[in-house]
Amino acid sequence: MTALTLAPAPASRRRRLASPVTALIRGLATLLTVALVSTFLTFGLAALGGANPAAAVLGETATIEDIARMNHEFGLDRPFLERYATWLGHALTGDLGTSWFTRLPVAESIAQRLPVDLSITAFAVLLAVLAGGPAGIGAAVNAGGRFDRVVTAVCAAAATVPAFVVGIGLIVLFAVAIPIFPSGGYVPFSEDPAQWLRLITLPALALSLDSAADIARQLRTALVETLRENYVTGAVVRGLSRRRVLLRHALRNAAGPAVTVLGLHIPRLLGGAVVTEAVFALPGLGQLTGEAALKSDVPVIQGTLLTIIVMVLLSNVVVDAVVLRLRPGTGRRTS
Amino acid sequence: MTAPLPAAAGFAGTVRRAWRLPSVKLSIAVLAVVAVVAVLGAHLAPYDPLAQDAAQRLRGPSGAHWLGTDYLGRDVLSRLLAGTGTSVLSAAEAVAVGLVLGVVPGLASVFAGRAAEWAAMRVIDALLTLPFIVFVIAVVGIVDNGPHQAMAALGLLLAPVFFRVTRTTTLGYARAQYVEAAELAGASGGRILRVHILPKVVPTVAVTAAGAAGTALLAVSSLSFLGIGVAPPAPTWGGMLAADLGYLAQRPLAPLAPALAITITVGALNALADALRDSMGGHAAVPRPTRRDRRQPAEKEPSRV
Repeated sequence: MTALTLAPAPASRRRRLASPVTALIRGLATLLTVALVSTFLTFGLAALGGANPAAAVLGETATIEDIARMNHEFGLDRPFLERYATWLGHALTGDLGTSWFTRLPVAESIAQRLPVDLSITAFAVLLAVLAGGPAGIGAAVNAGGRFDRVVTAVCAAAATVPAFVVGIGLIVLFAVAIPIFPSGGYVPFSEDPAQWLRLITLPALALSLDSAADIARQLRTALVETLRENYVTGAVVRGLSRRRVLLRHALRNAAGPAVTVLGLHIPRLLGGAVVTEAVFALPGLGQLTGEAALKSDVPVIQGTLLTIIVMVLLSNVVVDAVVLRLRPGTGRRTS
Repeated sequence: MTAPLPAAAGFAGTVRRAWRLPSVKLSIAVLAVVAVVAVLGAHLAPYDPLAQDAAQRLRGPSGAHWLGTDYLGRDVLSRLLAGTGTSVLSAAEAVAVGLVLGVVPGLASVFAGRAAEWAAMRVIDALLTLPFIVFVIAVVGIVDNGPHQAMAALGLLLAPVFFRVTRTTTLGYARAQYVEAAELAGASGGRILRVHILPKVVPTVAVTAAGAAGTALLAVSSLSFLGIGVAPPAPTWGGMLAADLGYLAQRPLAPLAPALAITITVGALNALADALRDSMGGHAAVPRPTRRDRRQPAEKEPSRV
């Protein structure tokens, strides 16, 4: 498993990524496949396992009539493939069915919870870039120095600590020992922006550590290599300032792997957000999925899974587009 | 950006080279202790890990309770020792599922037709995109909340890594001259696979398994923290953290013991995988894959815990 290095993309890959439009189409194609494969999988499991609303809601007391009645109500008495096709069709229009328990539209519950996860994930991405970027650059500039060694050690340690453990540590430090942040809860941005920020800071911080470490590591590796390139030496020889060479010439070429890694981290961030939510008692998608899972509320589970997959893939498409723009000579050639 | 292929010197050479590193000795020592505790944990525990003692709730470390007691007065050390087996065995189960689901199709994909290969790659791409925790929660919610269901789902998500690493390595050797020679000499496909290819694939897969075990243990801890897989009151590292979370004001340092157990074990697994990988690389006396084989993008670390 190689680290993603700065090595120029092989010709075939470069051709494939020739234009942002192609990249976008490829991304959307993957999105469709993944959504189809995973929803089919969960649908198949539910059908094979004989999950049904009466058993889930009424438990042991469900009679055969109850089962038949509720199966009919939720359309489970129709053939598997027909049900799946209907669900897919409805999902495309934004209708994810209704919960077996609350009878509320799944899409509505998800829309209520989504801002929580988007808030902490987006803030975590921001923190990861703000912390990982300068750390990586600093480490690369004095490679082998003391700062470099500290960054490398911290990065290695961060990879072994799960985000929820970091979260507990942050609560102990900043909510119990030095109570400057609340230990949990959530207020929407529209109600109280200041409190919103206070509440999402610790979760986002916990979530971002691992990504920040990876960004720093990738950026350091790529930048150390780039700074040895002839064109960098050339730019220095021509009298450009060190800062300009570093930021304008080297960084632009070295940022690719770090951005790719950030893209690879987005699923981890979204998945990690689910666990981090539990640590900080945030009413997000994770809480919704977790509660649904413990109750076997299948429509909610399928809806949240699809939502998270779509978010992961959309972010992948965006990251691909950014990488493409950063890589010299690819984006401009055809667009 | 082809994946590093192992040295032809074989697995024994790799292990010998790696063993010289202090980090490997330390990792093996840590993992040996963890393994012993995983097997004997319940017998080593000074108390019953489930026994509650209302008079001794949330006590700090003392002579009687070395790591203190939790909110129900249960002995933390006993729960930590008893929980080791559950946590470690769950992770091992997930890795085993991933190995089977990844290595077998990985080998098959090299020799199967292009249609099968294409289909396999699409499924792998799809699996690589799924976030670990969310998917496992979904499967458990649909099927049933049990340890084996959760670990099967987790194993399925670990499979792509094994698939890719098996496929890349096998491709490298399947086109090697000595394999061609064996074919010309009339060796059967099964024999070539068994004698000429599998021994070369095993070391790479073993290294991948060490890394995957670290990933799996992190995922298992997160899942048991959420009450997925192993349900309370059975002791698990993640479950202990979840229990401590409500009483941080009274015992802020309580999470330290399970957190360290997770971190140190995962760290040892990662260090071992890294060291073995480093010892393998650099001596790659293997044939490079042909251009067609290199079409697939470089390995990406699965980053979805």
